[in-house]
Amino acid sequence: MRVKYLTAIVMICTLSISSSSGQILNKLKQKASQQMDKALDKTLGIDDKTPPGNPGDPGNGGNNGSGTNNTTGGGLVTTPPDVQANIADAQSSYRSGSYGEARYAVQQAMLGVEMEIGNNILKSLPESIAGLGKDASADRVTSTGFGWVGLTIQREYRNGNKEFQVMVANNSMMMSSVNMYLSSGGYSQTTGGEQNWKQTKLKGHRAIIEYDESRGYKLSVPIGQSSLVVYEGVNFATEAEMMSAAETVDIDGIKKMLGEQ
Amino acid sequence: MRNIFTIIAFAYAITSFGQDFNAHVAEAKSSYSSGDLENTRFKLERALQELDIIIGKEILKQLPTQLGSLKFNEADDNVTSGSGMGTGLFVHRSYGVEMNTGRIDVINNSPLIASLNAMLSIPFVGNSGDGTQKVIKVQGYKAVMNKNANEQTGKVGYTIQIPVNNTLYTVEMDETSESEIQSIANSIPIAKITQMAN
Repeated sequence: MRVKYLTAIVMICTLSISSSSGQILNKLKQKASQQMDKALDKTLGIDDKTPPGNPGDPGNGGNNGSGTNNTTGGGLVTTPPDVQANIADAQSSYRSGSYGEARYAVQQAMLGVEMEIGNNILKSLPESIAGLGKDASADRVTSTGFGWVGLTIQREYRNGNKEFQVMVANNSMMMSSVNMYLSSGGYSQTTGGEQNWKQTKLKGHRAIIEYDESRGYKLSVPIGQSSLVVYEGVNFATEAEMMSAAETVDIDGIKKMLGEQ
Repeated sequence: MRNIFTIIAFAYAITSFGQDFNAHVAEAKSSYSSGDLENTRFKLERALQELDIIIGKEILKQLPTQLGSLKFNEADDNVTSGSGMGTGLFVHRSYGVEMNTGRIDVINNSPLIASLNAMLSIPFVGNSGDGTQKVIKVQGYKAVMNKNANEQTGKVGYTIQIPVNNTLYTVEMDETSESEIQSIANSIPIAKITQMAN
């Protein structure tokens, strides 16, 4: 079995190598042809500046497969699904025995509710933290509509090269590793060597604070059974400054909004 | 007589699950109206799980009660809802006893589906030279068939996996022939079940 897979991998590699060498040869041919054209144009006294190409001309960047560039369009509507309408849809689909449709409608309703929860959390966050204003364009709520798979909420604050980021993850896989940090004696703090992380408390919640020379401070605070708040600070002078910035976030309010105990 | 009791028990189970679904959706609706988003979400999750169980039980009704000479083990019928946990819906039916057994599994939203589809799209990887694996068609759907030899008994079994949309069907028998397992796979109402699961 392993031999077969190895043979397959070798074949794929061989094919890709031969295909890339073919591409290199084609490029060389193209370059040589272009140089010959230029030399010929110079000899004949023809201006070598190429006229602006038509949108459909090959080689024009940014065009799609049909050869026409998209110059208009409003993008996608990002309004969350209507919760009431989807609940009503789920009920009627269920009554008519269309269980697949009912499930889709329930998932859409859940997506709508999660987006609302996420937006409420974003609203609860301060307008500025530690003198850094919020970057509204970076506000993000991500939901899969599948409940426990995960809801994440992100907010960034920045001023010059100083940054502070808040990320709330609900029903998060990250929770287990952070809880392992907090509960396992094997990860207890040491006094020797360089201390890059340690256990701490934020407003009474157990937390882990880490420091990395290139990435700055990171504070992870598990809340309740399945949520985690992560604060990241770039170019914060001290641990105390980082902790004081994190304290300005109403973590108990977030916990309540997520229904955590 | 036994069949009648089974049908009554099935109908009762579906009705009770149905009541739960309606109750959860109604609670979600009232919680949403009162602004309790967290409870709305919780009740919708519960409704989704109830719905998965109902769909799973409907799928079980469509599965054969016999695989060749093997009768199904009613007590082993199983529906698991993984909605909310990323694993989707899992429906399991087993057949036969001890050494000679079989199973049909229907998994909805399975992570296995992506890798199987990849295998089906590269024919020379899907087929093995020694004949232990090949790509076949079941009711027009591409599928992967694996030959499983039992080293102790020397008998041969087969597994067929059929990915359709985001649903994966697995048919497996310990002692069978290629033609028998394909004929069994062809007897499953795949299109109907896929419509239910999606």
